[in-house]
Amino acid sequence: MISDRVSYEQLLGISICLALALAAHLSTLPLWVPAMVVACGLVRLRFARGGRGAPSRAVLITVAALAIPLLFFRFHTFNGLVAGTALLSVTAGLKLLETKSRRDIYIITLIIYFVSLAALLESTSFWLLSYLIGVCWLTTATLLRLTSSGAVPGWRRSLRYGGRVLAQALPLALLLWLLFPRFAAPLWQVPNDSQTAASGLSDTMSPGDITQLALSDEIAFRVRFDGASPPNGERYYRGPVLDVFDGRTWSRLPADRRAPPALKPQGPLYKYTVMMEPHQHRWIFMLDWPDRWNLPRARLNGTYTLLQPEPLSRPVDIVGASYTRVRSDGPLDSIMRKIDTKSAPGRDPRTTELARELSSAHPDAMEFVAAVLAMIREQPFFYTLTPPKLSDNSVDDFLFNTKRGFCGHYASAFVALARAAGIPARVVTGYSGGTLNPYGDYWIVRQSDAHAWAEVWIEGKGWVRVDPTAAVAPERVERGLSDAAVGAESLTGPWQQRTRWLAGLRLRFDAVKEIWRERILDFDQDSQRKLLEMLKIPEPDGQKLVMVLALGLTLVFIWLTWQVRRELAPRSKDVAARAYARLCAKLAAAGLPRLPHEGAEAYALRVARLRPDLAATVTQLCRQYSFLRYSAPSAAVTLGQFQAAVRAFKPRDSRAFSRT
Amino acid sequence: MVSLRQAAVNQLRARVIRRHGRDSLPISINRRRIYILPTRFGFMLGAVLAAMLIAGLNYNSNLALAFAFLMSSMALVTMHHCNRNMLRLSVDATIEVDAFAGREARLEFDLRNGSSVDRRDIEVRCMNAAGMGSVAAGDSETIEVIAPVAKRGIARVSQFEMRTRYPFGWFYSWTYVQGSITIYVAPAPIGILSLPCGASQGAGSHSEARGDEDFSGLRVYQPGMPLKHMAWKVLARGGEPVVRSYSSLAAQPEWLDWSTLAGLDTEARLSQLCLWVLESDAAQRPYGLRLPGKELAPSGGAAHRYACLRALAAFGSDAS
Repeated sequence: MISDRVSYEQLLGISICLALALAAHLSTLPLWVPAMVVACGLVRLRFARGGRGAPSRAVLITVAALAIPLLFFRFHTFNGLVAGTALLSVTAGLKLLETKSRRDIYIITLIIYFVSLAALLESTSFWLLSYLIGVCWLTTATLLRLTSSGAVPGWRRSLRYGGRVLAQALPLALLLWLLFPRFAAPLWQVPNDSQTAASGLSDTMSPGDITQLALSDEIAFRVRFDGASPPNGERYYRGPVLDVFDGRTWSRLPADRRAPPALKPQGPLYKYTVMMEPHQHRWIFMLDWPDRWNLPRARLNGTYTLLQPEPLSRPVDIVGASYTRVRSDGPLDSIMRKIDTKSAPGRDPRTTELARELSSAHPDAMEFVAAVLAMIREQPFFYTLTPPKLSDNSVDDFLFNTKRGFCGHYASAFVALARAAGIPARVVTGYSGGTLNPYGDYWIVRQSDAHAWAEVWIEGKGWVRVDPTAAVAPERVERGLSDAAVGAESLTGPWQQRTRWLAGLRLRFDAVKEIWRERILDFDQDSQRKLLEMLKIPEPDGQKLVMVLALGLTLVFIWLTWQVRRELAPRSKDVAARAYARLCAKLAAAGLPRLPHEGAEAYALRVARLRPDLAATVTQLCRQYSFLRYSAPSAAVTLGQFQAAVRAFKPRDSRAFSRT
Repeated sequence: MVSLRQAAVNQLRARVIRRHGRDSLPISINRRRIYILPTRFGFMLGAVLAAMLIAGLNYNSNLALAFAFLMSSMALVTMHHCNRNMLRLSVDATIEVDAFAGREARLEFDLRNGSSVDRRDIEVRCMNAAGMGSVAAGDSETIEVIAPVAKRGIARVSQFEMRTRYPFGWFYSWTYVQGSITIYVAPAPIGILSLPCGASQGAGSHSEARGDEDFSGLRVYQPGMPLKHMAWKVLARGGEPVVRSYSSLAAQPEWLDWSTLAGLDTEARLSQLCLWVLESDAAQRPYGLRLPGKELAPSGGAAHRYACLRALAAFGSDAS
């Protein structure tokens, strides 16, 4: 019988597995939870080492009474990924503390499996998946050692065995993963408790905000164009539009429910797919100006920003189409005109003065814009990632004193000038440029590509994009940030000191990541339909999917049965023995099985007595076998001849023959 | 719940007997007679796997689904492995076992594993007792089940069970083998009377008298004869194995007689006789056993001892 006591070694094994599974949650769980579990493990191990059993019930209840309310105060609920995981982890810790028998450890293994899965629910990482499969492998090997009676198999053996089970499970898992029907919508609303602050554009902009993003290497989204990409200088991806200025910070209009104005396309239509990374905001970065998209619930707001009903908490692919050049004949809404010509009250007197001068010299709006851009170009303005601090009159300070700034400074100053001159203008944030990945034929847009530009309203043309940054640093718009930042101000990101091969490697790596994302992470009902189409199944639907799954499962099960039982009937390595076994099988089928104690000669004698018609052949074959098997190689008969003779031997036919 | 399960098990056992009839040992266990069910741990795992699947589907996370499917597939593969652990294992049992009432019977089961995988943690259950063992690839192993026996008589086992929870304890597969095993339960060797002595000598003087002078000739060795009387020199010369026989051994048999114990009840008489048999055997004196309706001629050695003990065990039952 299995002894039910747990040993120090078993406890150690399972504690390590639990710790490894919890390590996957370190970034989300409050730190005291894993610390508490580790403490529980250490205490229990110390007890086991000292030959004592589990700590008393009172200790257990005290720990539980402390930990569980603490969890509740922290999360206010146990429903939700992080809270649920924390609760499970605490339970596992308590279970470890009170472990007496194997059954307790069994429960811990189940918790390890589930906690591992929980780490994957909101993850997209290949490495995390591999790591957790490793943890599950180790846990299963530990379980094997745990359930074994008598001689416990060694670690190597257990791991090998667990690995073999894992390997045999792979085809089945792959089949299920490919064909198991997916839900179009979740069964119930997933509580969104991600507290991770995503980096990316926010819906306000103060001078210098984007500078922080410029140092971030994170990917904001990827874009793949069907056909030609828009030329450099036209790849602007539109984000939140900022209409309200308080003298320092630009912000969005609250609750903008107006319908977007109608636009007339002027240039070619670009079709593309945007592969958004989650950024915890509602907007989606579409190529300026978006025309259509495949998200049924997303809407354009009055400023042409595409908004989703919920914040984007997981990667999404959007198939869309945009015109990079549009015009609009209609008049500007009077309320919007009022908002978009409003300057910050009582601020920036010198800017107002300058705007008045310029507009009297250039009464036409387009000419005014050209004059401002010319001023920026001709005066000693610099493009820098480390702009000096600005005073309360931020625009005045920038235009007349510091003259050093990032895209946000230029856009802000430009719009302030235009508004002071009575021209409707606004700041648009988003991304521009991007890096083409030649290995995957798509554009990578990073946080460092975040950008801010201006739009002015020109009667008869509509909103016209003006990028004042282009006037001071055209290469910023043409090629991207790292070329534009000059000299000593070079970027300091880990990959930014780029050598050519490193950049190539990085692009290749991203191409692999993109395949991972497209093929694995975004696999859904649509992909399953395409898979069925590839299998030449007409009009694929859910029912056919299940049928194909059932068929596949049958095949895999047959394979599995064969695979698992293969080792039960070992093929003898000796050719002669194999042929002899075949001979015996043939005779057995004819009703003359060899008895376990019979040697070849004795068997031949008995067969000869019972079936005289076979006597000659069988006696000869058995003698040949004895020769081949037991005596030195001779020329009397070769293995090949013996094999052929056995193959030709047909005891059943000869009986039929002898009877007729 | 437990009784419901017990009822189901009993029904299954009865059906197995109807379906397969008696097995002639040794028997190779084929797939048709192996049953498999999840253990309680296995059911818990199933619940966790279902929760994992629902979580993965609900969060629409392909990675979580991949993990959940991998775990489920591992459980299914494990089911095959558990089944395989017993498949085509050859089982034999010692079909006649001797025991004393009030002690335990040692039932021996020989498992032969002709395959190239190890069979681990096979449990044999019989008479409410169990023994466990593993058989390495291409090897054989004896599993001993030590079952307590209370009553004198002939106990028959018509069915034994083999089960395994290998590899991870998620499933257990089991099989019933209809092999008959006879257990001769001799009476407990208890008694207060000392060994009846022959006409002239007591036990002490008898052993004193034994010596080379009493050598009466050579007899062909039979299994069970005392090895210390073996004529090794004869054997070394290439002759037949023979034993020296002594006149005292051959000449003064002792009759252990039922009728001399008139004052006791049946079981006490049998116990007393059993004790005498063992004492005579230990003293290496020839003895005969006389029971109502049965008589065993005086002899010595293990085979004779067993014959006597079995006669005592069978006393009063139909088989005698």
